[in-house]
Amino acid sequence: MIRCIDVRKVYRQGQNEITALAGITLDITKGEFTVIMGPSGSGKSTLLHLIGGLDRPTSGDVLVDQRLISQMADDQVTLFRRTKIGFVFQFFNLLPTLTALENVTLPLVLDGRAKAEADQKSEFLLAKVGLEQRKNHLPEELSGGEIQRIAIARALAFNPPILLADEPTGNLDSKTGESVLALLRQINRDDGCTVVIVTHSREAACHGDRKIFLRDGSVEKDGC
Amino acid sequence: MFRLLQTLSWRHVRRHQLRTALTFLGIALGVAVIVAIAMVNRSLTSSFQSTIEQIAGKAVLQVANGESGINESLFSVIRDTPGVQDAAAAVEGFLPVSGKRGERLYVYGVDLLTDFAIRDHQFAGSGFAFDQALDFIAQPDSVALTESFARRLHLPIGAQITLATARGKQNYTVRALLKEEGTARVFGGNFALMDLPAAQRSFGKEGKLDIIDLTVEEGAKIETVQQRLKSRLAGAAEVERPKKRGEQIESLLISFRVGLFFVSLIALFVGFFLIYNTVSVSVIQRRREIGTLRCLGMRRGELLRLILAEALILAVIGSLAGSLFGWLLAQAALVAVGQTVADLFTVVDLAAGSFTLKELGLALVSGIAVTVFAALHPAWEAIHVSPLESARQTAWRPRSRARRSWATALAIFCFLLSPTLIFLSPSLQGPVEKFSVGVIGMLVFLLVLAFLCPLVINYGVKWFWQSAVQLPGHSWVEARLASDSLRRNPARSGITVATLVISLAAIFTIAAFVNSVRGSLLAWVDQMVTADLIVSSGARTAGPRNVPLTEEPSPNFRHLPGVKIVDLYRLIRSTYQGKPILIESFSARESASVRNLPMAAGDGKRALREMGEGKGVIISESFQSRFSKNANEVVELSTPSGSIAFKILGVYVDYSSDAGSVLIDRASYKKYWRDELVDAFDLWLEPGADQAAVIKRIKDDYGEKYQLFISTHRELKDAVVRIMEQSFVVNYAVEIVAVVVAIFSVINTLLASILDRIREIGVLRAIGATQAQVRRIVVLEAGWMGFLGGLLGLFAGTIMAYHHVVYNTKFLTGWTFQFYYPYGVAILSLVASVVLCLMAGYGPAKQAAARPIVTAIGYE
Repeated sequence: MIRCIDVRKVYRQGQNEITALAGITLDITKGEFTVIMGPSGSGKSTLLHLIGGLDRPTSGDVLVDQRLISQMADDQVTLFRRTKIGFVFQFFNLLPTLTALENVTLPLVLDGRAKAEADQKSEFLLAKVGLEQRKNHLPEELSGGEIQRIAIARALAFNPPILLADEPTGNLDSKTGESVLALLRQINRDDGCTVVIVTHSREAACHGDRKIFLRDGSVEKDGC
Repeated sequence: MFRLLQTLSWRHVRRHQLRTALTFLGIALGVAVIVAIAMVNRSLTSSFQSTIEQIAGKAVLQVANGESGINESLFSVIRDTPGVQDAAAAVEGFLPVSGKRGERLYVYGVDLLTDFAIRDHQFAGSGFAFDQALDFIAQPDSVALTESFARRLHLPIGAQITLATARGKQNYTVRALLKEEGTARVFGGNFALMDLPAAQRSFGKEGKLDIIDLTVEEGAKIETVQQRLKSRLAGAAEVERPKKRGEQIESLLISFRVGLFFVSLIALFVGFFLIYNTVSVSVIQRRREIGTLRCLGMRRGELLRLILAEALILAVIGSLAGSLFGWLLAQAALVAVGQTVADLFTVVDLAAGSFTLKELGLALVSGIAVTVFAALHPAWEAIHVSPLESARQTAWRPRSRARRSWATALAIFCFLLSPTLIFLSPSLQGPVEKFSVGVIGMLVFLLVLAFLCPLVINYGVKWFWQSAVQLPGHSWVEARLASDSLRRNPARSGITVATLVISLAAIFTIAAFVNSVRGSLLAWVDQMVTADLIVSSGARTAGPRNVPLTEEPSPNFRHLPGVKIVDLYRLIRSTYQGKPILIESFSARESASVRNLPMAAGDGKRALREMGEGKGVIISESFQSRFSKNANEVVELSTPSGSIAFKILGVYVDYSSDAGSVLIDRASYKKYWRDELVDAFDLWLEPGADQAAVIKRIKDDYGEKYQLFISTHRELKDAVVRIMEQSFVVNYAVEIVAVVVAIFSVINTLLASILDRIREIGVLRAIGATQAQVRRIVVLEAGWMGFLGGLLGLFAGTIMAYHHVVYNTKFLTGWTFQFYYPYGVAILSLVASVVLCLMAGYGPAKQAAARPIVTAIGYE
């Protein structure tokens, strides 16, 4: 499902070069729940961004669902990302002036779907994450856990085969975080969605079928 | 403080050069316009004084009677008045140089044998002794030119020069050259000296003098001699100090100069909002930095002083640059203004000269005051930034509710102040005071709308959104996010929309005013000038540029095939109660049947008939307003025959001058003013007559002799419009400034708005919004601002324009203009506002969309 072939990412800051990823090769199969871990600066978020098409590698290839996304034009990868990849961030997930329902419909609306169709699908997704009663609330009226759940609902708008989450519980207390992770696990099991999360948390890591440890831009350990 | 300015402020400036440039531009533009107009106004006032002083020489008193002239027989009365030491008479005026397009000579005709007591004419070469003077006088075609003029036109001593005079083209011989000193310096060296009788013949003023300059005996009091002369002349002429004459001419231009001054205020007003905008954005951009400084222990007072110091430094540099730019602008403006003044009022020797300390002071004070005032509120906001800002990770700022309350409170205050000023203005003394307070009242009204912009944005945009109007080609979320972004920070969006409102209102007011003036003027010309052909010399319109002719061609015109009626029109400058007025005359007996006098009060036909019977005069609206005279009252006019009382038969509409005009029948005019000159021959043709044939005949018969302009009714109208348009050149320049400033404000606000929601845009892109979709959101935001600003600006401009055209202009000039609403400009303004804003939004939109997603989200 996801393949990285000798992927490197180098950032330039003035005269300095920072190697975020020093040549990573890995495969993630369909339906896996993979956890990427590592200390700060290990390159785990960078790797997630490259898999999600948010950034391009300096060298190497990234294939998602057999599509070479590292070579796609911006519009092409955007459209691919819209329907094939769901994203959940640590914070700033929801647009602050839209209601929960409107936030969930956003990817569908961006794709030009009719409002009625988008609303119906979104209500279904909100019910799936247990928040249909909060559909008309603004983000400022929601708790952190609720925001993350709605972000997950939005990520599932197109039933994507892949769901990427960057520190999804980083901003939450342990109990709320646990419930979010449980939701992700449920989605992975019930829908067969390939889930890749980046986390510092050992508790979060326990949910994963596979754990990939990064250090200094390289895979230190890859296993269950 | 200096260290902080060096490390923090300077680096911020270097990093955000565009924003700094915009602030700088706002200051420089506003200051440049203020300085340019101040220089033009100074040049206008000083040029008259300088010209008059140079020509007056040693004279301490001058006897004059406008263009009416003084009867030559009074010279000996004046000269022999006790206390008068020397008296020198002169005849003066401009004469076009034949064969040299655009060249005019200021001809000064004096008695060379006596004039040296008053004036110092410096002749080039070995001097101008008594014998040479006699020789000069003995030849009636003698003329002395300045060295520079003679050099420029290749006219050495002995050469011939042809001038267009009252008797047609006349040849003169250059018999002396003048150094450019003393009197010869006036009008850039376009000065010529003639013997008095020769000049009288050239101007058709035989038996008349334009001015008599006097010195008084040592020990005599000037005021006493002045009184003595006034009582001896009994109203036949005015006796004034030379400076007072200059002031009289200056007073002709008061309305023009006041108008220019207020136009310059608009530029400063608009510049203020740009500066406020850019400084606000700078504070937003540095929020984290400010939070860090506060965290590290910087006190609020220190932060306030830092931000104001930054503004002050920028203000000083911007003001200095504005001064320089203003000087350059003044050179261009002087050409336009000089042309306008020469067409409408009097030929003037304009030169900006060097920059004065006063103007530099004005530049610095206005630039610094506006900048610091504009920076106050953003600085106040900055000092209330929390120290936690440095650690804050929120992607968005909560909507600023508190800020709206001060804006609304100010709007209410201005809403109460504006009508108070507007209703107060008519009761003030003096046209300038009435006009000024009226204009300030309107500007305060504009501020009402400006302060209401945050509310309008919040509710107007919300209403539009909730009415679920679908924008073609856009999904609801793009329109929704665009409007949400505006409403999120109504204060910031409000300032930008306010800038658009002010710019558009200023543009529309000027456009509506010009349209109304043009419409009124053209309607007036149609009514006032019914002649088929107008024949004049020197210029197409009667005024400072044309050359009055004798009546000689008149009988021949009458006998031309196809000509039905010939009337003789004359326009002279005179004075009334020490202020300049115009005296206009034509033969009502001849042309009453074909004339249609536009009246403000009274019956035009009856008034013309009675005027033709010599029963009185008709005054203009400006005269009525300026001197509080009405129909059926009496007005005493100073003529070469003495002071004469005339009954006022009615009040007519006259846009030829805001100084005030008196219309009198030509027979009465010739009788009392003893003047037979003609400024224009008005010809009415028989129905079906061949106009082209008549024109050809006139050219064939008189084209060689006279420098004629033969205008059709249409051509005259075009000339009038051209002169009018020329007078608004400075206004148009300010309009351009207003548009430029408005566009920069939009760009600035959008950049700030994008800064505020970088992460939001990043998330949008991450979940699948294309760059085009993000661009559309930002461009739509700009479009919203353009639409709201355009609509409100149009509303404000309509009200301001109406008040300005119908009331304010009347206070200043006495003129009543009809309000002609420029529908085309209104629609164009609204469309242009939206289109320009959309275009302005494209750059920031592209920037927002192209930002790398990862950077936008803000990961390391």
